[in-house]
Amino acid sequence: MSAVVAVSNLVVSYGMDDGEVFAVDGVDLDVVPGESVGIVGESGSGKSTLGMAIGRLLAPNARFLGGEIRVARRSILSCPAAELRQVRRDSLGFVYQNPMSALDPTLRVGRQVALAIGERAGPAEIEAVLGRVGLPDPARVAAGFAHELSGGMAQRVVIALAIARNPAVLIADEPTASLDASIQGVILDLLAALRRDTGASLILLSHDLRMVARRCERLLVMYGGRVVESGPSGRVFHHPRHPYTRALIRAAAGNEGPGGMLEPIPGVPPVLRRSSPDCAFAERCEFAQPRCRQERPAVHRVDGREVACHYATSELIRADRASAAPA
Amino acid sequence: MSPRGSPVLAGALRFDRLGLFGLVLLVVLLFLGAAGPFLPLGDPNEIGAGPRLGPPSLAFPIGNDELGRNVLPRVVEGIGVTFLLSSMAVAITAVIGTLLGMAAGYLRGFADGFIARVADVLFAFPALLFGLLASAVLGPGNISAIVVISTATLPLFIRVVRSVTLSFTEREFVLAAVVSGASTWRVLWVHLLPNVLGAAIVQLTYALSIGMLIESGLSFLGLGVQPPHASLGSLLRLGSVYLTVSPWLVLVPGLVLALAIMSVNLLGDAIRNMLEPLRGRPLT
Amino acid sequence: MNEPAPTIDMRGVGVTYRKRLLARQTEVAAVTRVDLVIGPGETLGLVGESGSGKTTLARVALGLLAPSRGTFLFEGRAFDPQVRRQGALSVVFQHPEWALNPRLRCGTSIAEPLLVQGLRGREQRRQRVRAMLAEVGLDAALVDRFPGELSGGQRQRMAIARALITQPRFVVFDEAVSALDVSVQSQVLNLIRRLQAQHGFAAMFISHDLAATRYVSQRIAVMRGGEFVEVAPARKFYDGPDHPYSRALYATIAGETGENAKELAS
Repeated sequence: MSAVVAVSNLVVSYGMDDGEVFAVDGVDLDVVPGESVGIVGESGSGKSTLGMAIGRLLAPNARFLGGEIRVARRSILSCPAAELRQVRRDSLGFVYQNPMSALDPTLRVGRQVALAIGERAGPAEIEAVLGRVGLPDPARVAAGFAHELSGGMAQRVVIALAIARNPAVLIADEPTASLDASIQGVILDLLAALRRDTGASLILLSHDLRMVARRCERLLVMYGGRVVESGPSGRVFHHPRHPYTRALIRAAAGNEGPGGMLEPIPGVPPVLRRSSPDCAFAERCEFAQPRCRQERPAVHRVDGREVACHYATSELIRADRASAAPA
Repeated sequence: MSPRGSPVLAGALRFDRLGLFGLVLLVVLLFLGAAGPFLPLGDPNEIGAGPRLGPPSLAFPIGNDELGRNVLPRVVEGIGVTFLLSSMAVAITAVIGTLLGMAAGYLRGFADGFIARVADVLFAFPALLFGLLASAVLGPGNISAIVVISTATLPLFIRVVRSVTLSFTEREFVLAAVVSGASTWRVLWVHLLPNVLGAAIVQLTYALSIGMLIESGLSFLGLGVQPPHASLGSLLRLGSVYLTVSPWLVLVPGLVLALAIMSVNLLGDAIRNMLEPLRGRPLT
Repeated sequence: MNEPAPTIDMRGVGVTYRKRLLARQTEVAAVTRVDLVIGPGETLGLVGESGSGKTTLARVALGLLAPSRGTFLFEGRAFDPQVRRQGALSVVFQHPEWALNPRLRCGTSIAEPLLVQGLRGREQRRQRVRAMLAEVGLDAALVDRFPGELSGGQRQRMAIARALITQPRFVVFDEAVSALDVSVQSQVLNLIRRLQAQHGFAAMFISHDLAATRYVSQRIAVMRGGEFVEVAPARKFYDGPDHPYSRALYATIAGETGENAKELAS
């Protein structure tokens, strides 16, 4: 099955006042139709840049320094503007973190849905789309404005806008981060149901490793602009092989048991001024060896997943099989 | 305004070229205005120094006015007077406006309501009409010009200061100060004022350029600077009669006035850009 | 009967705002009815979404807002603004950006509560600032920097240093770790636990994140629509709380993972 999203060797930097900052430093990603992929990372990891790059929706000071992005087999980086717009319209759907800033405050909801559907969208089609995202009274929502909606309802509208034309790929960037935690499950269930019904692929970006592991088949962990570990989510979450993944699980509140301690990762995430010649995590890594500060790790296949670490296959990490995160 | 380290230094590095041009122009004009009397340009008051309405020549680079006076030193004097009057008025606006604006923004309630209404009333008064009123009461001249400029620029300034103060009143560090027992005075002086200053300075530069316009307008009507003193506005008035015969009497003061206002506005824009950089930050 | 009075004692507290919408005046109840007691040295976690009333409740606890109904006693007495000058109260907020005055050097900001308290000697204040920075794990050289030069985690530690420098008896942490990355958040959570064990202040830890809250609190109150739906020891939030709303929050941090993910995701 050919990939609906194919990213290879992507390198993206931002031109800032004081020089370049590399946000994505060589990323490969293939997403097949119907798949759910979760990308986890903290700020500076490059996950949002990667997600937005797929639709070429980056800030004006972003520079594509290398690599290729293909969506539905069209090259995003080199296709003409009209084709790019068409790909965005028909193949991609984006769901953002803050629904209130994703919706136009001056247009009625129905009108925004109509614009998303395109062509001639009558009230019936508008209400049908709003119904698909589980809004109980689509007619009333369509007649109203964004500020009249609660956070959860507004996010449903944003999802409605994203799926209006049944795109092949849904990209959700922290879709529940600004919502009440109690409806996090409901919104994620909705995305899963839509995926099932339309056969679309879902790319879910988040800082919440546990949440992504629950909801996605495949899990990618990003650090310093690279994918440091990727594989089936259960495997990666319960038996992480990259030191960063392990450290992240031990540091995140929620994974500890009562009376347990969080183990912070010493140091701070890096700001890359150039493509990293070595391992970006080396200075914070508990297993770091001299080689880590000299040579950029290649991606190895270990235990049914990919890890970008020199020592993924070594005794050091295999010996720690027991330190899986509690379920 | 976004917070950044070492505010002055970081900001200075962002000063753009237009702003620099404005600054240089302003400095040149201010120098002329201040040093004018001491430069060997000639006597601005000497009647009959040259032919009446004499055209520009080597001895009289901008020619002579209807009384034969050398126009060059008069224009230089005009720059000084225009700037001086406007600056004094804007200084008064700055002090009163900052006090009232911050009081309105921080104390809210009755004080805010009262000050806002007063500002609205002042806002409604057309400056030149007010100028007539002021001259009727105070007599035409420098004092009434200062009063008019000050009252004309006060309302907008109060609104800007009030608005910025409001935006900072709910900031976490202000609340933290209140919780730790800081007095109202301390909060206003140590926490609010330094953060309001930036926007206030920008607004003051615009007030200065408006002030110069008002001053010129008043002097043009004969309500501002009185003869034999010259301001750019009064020179415009005296020269406008002879526009078809000796256009340089109007063109030169007019051009200088335009340059003065432009330089102040460019400077204001540059300072504003320094404080609110337009480039967004990337997401990752 | 020599038991010390609870630090925070609220009975039947309600807070209503009056909103003027065009010509009509509507009353909005930010807090409907709350009974809350926090003993000396205890951390109470307050969990709820934005709009649940938790920030309003925090303001009442800090004496910034008078309740419309009910009684509020601070250390057994009606709230007297004078306790502020004693340095008894402090607060750490959410946004590291605005936690400190951007125009003041960090050292000045941290020393300010001491100044307000009346500590005259400059050298004395400097000593206390240095000692506090060491406690929160920051390099002493950072006193001369401006907040804009520090990272979010560093700024938040500065805010904590300022909050604790007067040895307060009650500290409010209002979404204090919400804007921090996971790796930095864990550092700050551990810091809060350690400092509380060391200094023994009472605290209110407000968050929408149940995982962070149960880590630092002894008791947790779940707030919704202006009132508490459940108040229980933090331990209960590791096993499973009672109220349906609490359980919904709990589900986000304690669900199934891994092999079942595919099942759940499809």
